[in-house]
Amino acid sequence: MFLALRELKHSKMRYVLIGGIMMLIAWLVFLLSGLANGLATDNGSSLKNMKADAIVFQSEVKLYLHRSLLPMSKLDEVKGVQGVTNAAPLGMLTVTTKDSDGTESIDATMLAIQPESFLAPKVIEGQALAANSGQEAVVDKTFKRHGVKLGDELKIQSSDQTVKVIGFTTGQTYNHLPVIFTNIPFWQKIRFAAPGSDSGIQNPISAIAVQSQQDGITDMLNQKLSGVETVTRDVALQNLPGYKEEMGTITMMLAFLFVIAAFVLAVFFYVLTLQKSNQFGVLKALGASTSYLAKNLLGQIFLLSLVSIVVGAGLTYLVAAVMPGEVPFALDNGVVVVYSVILLIVSMLGAMISLRRIAKIDALQAIGKVE
Amino acid sequence: MSKLVLEGVGKRYGEGVNTVYALQDVSMRVEAGEFVAVVGPSGSGKSTLLAIAGALLQQSSGNVLINGVDISSFSPAKLAQVRLHQIGFILQSSNLVPYLKTIDQLLLVAELSGTRNRETAVRAEKLLTELGLAHRRDHYPEHLSGGERQRVAIARALMNDPDVILADEPTASLDTTRGKEVVEMLVREAKSRGKAAVMVTHDERMLHLCDRVLRMTDGKLQEVNP
Repeated sequence: MFLALRELKHSKMRYVLIGGIMMLIAWLVFLLSGLANGLATDNGSSLKNMKADAIVFQSEVKLYLHRSLLPMSKLDEVKGVQGVTNAAPLGMLTVTTKDSDGTESIDATMLAIQPESFLAPKVIEGQALAANSGQEAVVDKTFKRHGVKLGDELKIQSSDQTVKVIGFTTGQTYNHLPVIFTNIPFWQKIRFAAPGSDSGIQNPISAIAVQSQQDGITDMLNQKLSGVETVTRDVALQNLPGYKEEMGTITMMLAFLFVIAAFVLAVFFYVLTLQKSNQFGVLKALGASTSYLAKNLLGQIFLLSLVSIVVGAGLTYLVAAVMPGEVPFALDNGVVVVYSVILLIVSMLGAMISLRRIAKIDALQAIGKVE
Repeated sequence: MSKLVLEGVGKRYGEGVNTVYALQDVSMRVEAGEFVAVVGPSGSGKSTLLAIAGALLQQSSGNVLINGVDISSFSPAKLAQVRLHQIGFILQSSNLVPYLKTIDQLLLVAELSGTRNRETAVRAEKLLTELGLAHRRDHYPEHLSGGERQRVAIARALMNDPDVILADEPTASLDTTRGKEVVEMLVREAKSRGKAAVMVTHDERMLHLCDRVLRMTDGKLQEVNP
């Protein structure tokens, strides 16, 4: 690092510029990863944060919760399967609500639960749902941004029902919409208002959330029960409408950024190495080994990348801090660390072509007029 | 014992009818404290001779002994070690590392041989003082004059306390006064430290400072009678 550090110090401008490019790339990588995470959270945080290991859907509905219908009687069947420690019913409906003064429409996902089950949301303000809560609801705090307060009545459009907001929860969105938690009978009243919409199922629910410590519980449930399709919670998340597409797009952008980072550094250091080949010749004539020169080059790239990535990450957290609440942006520290390491590795890989060049440089270059 | 010995050294390039002889049956001995100049027109093989004596290039035939050790069959890595510990190079101008301050140019040699410590740091400072460069300690090469650069190169060559000092056209970019100063310093340092020194030059003005002059013509070496 003797040479590496002194050269960085001497040619500050040159390295600040390339470090700046690296920093911007790192910044973009982290912003995108934050956006990916934010979108994923926005899309299905209710599912992501659900204390369930598997979800039982109706079979042949492509794991779409809004299409799935199961009779409540399946709940006991699920509970009876060996390995299932707990299970809870879940109802789902996309609704449009109007606040009490009737001015603003808010789209939401209604999730119906048994208030005493493990699906009950953590209340951060107000009260939790009671067992026979009737027309009461715990809603995601996003509603606050629309001016909804505790005690407000929300009208459910295309029905004659209203719910009273008795509590707020956090981190509960589904299909990019904030969640309204109600009990199951109330949900059934709205969901199956039209005659025949329950397809003749007694006491219908959408799906069943399952808790289990056992591997392969999904296969077990699929085997033991008829007319159901059971998947792990993660698979259910992947199958949310639009989830794969959103993640796919961002993943592709991230992949390109990693490749670009590698190329930018590779080209920069290659050109620099070509420029310095006479210098490397002198160093080799003095007795420097290729491995010594290689270590210095790698050290330089490592240092430059590290500083750029750290600055990029710092800027990302700064942006996250001033980002308005509506933007789906959530930084995951673990992901930031992983992407930093990938960026570092990728930049080191970019250095490889320069290493080959250094290995080829002949100390003879240093002597004036040898053929 | 001679510090530097070349015995029947030849260097040829190419095969068959295209064979070019850069050196033919060259023999020379340089003793400790002796300062030898090699002169000759360009293309005569001077630089090839220096490269072979300096373990930069391997000869096609003959033997090269540095401090009594035959380096003819050494691997490239081992030759680098020889250069690092036993040979001091003074190359043509602009062969200092551009981003190193004067003191670091010297410390680099210690760094390369893995001996950078307090002792070598003291040694570097002492060399700078002895060569009148103390006031240029923290200057980059771009801020040094041509003569100063060559003095730094001399200091650098002495840094690893080599057995042999090889200078390749050290006065190439200097005017007569500066060139003379540099060569005088080189002679003085080589002699006082008991080094075997070889200087390749076509600068005939400096020859009176040397103990012996050898002339290179078409790959052959002859002693020139003073």
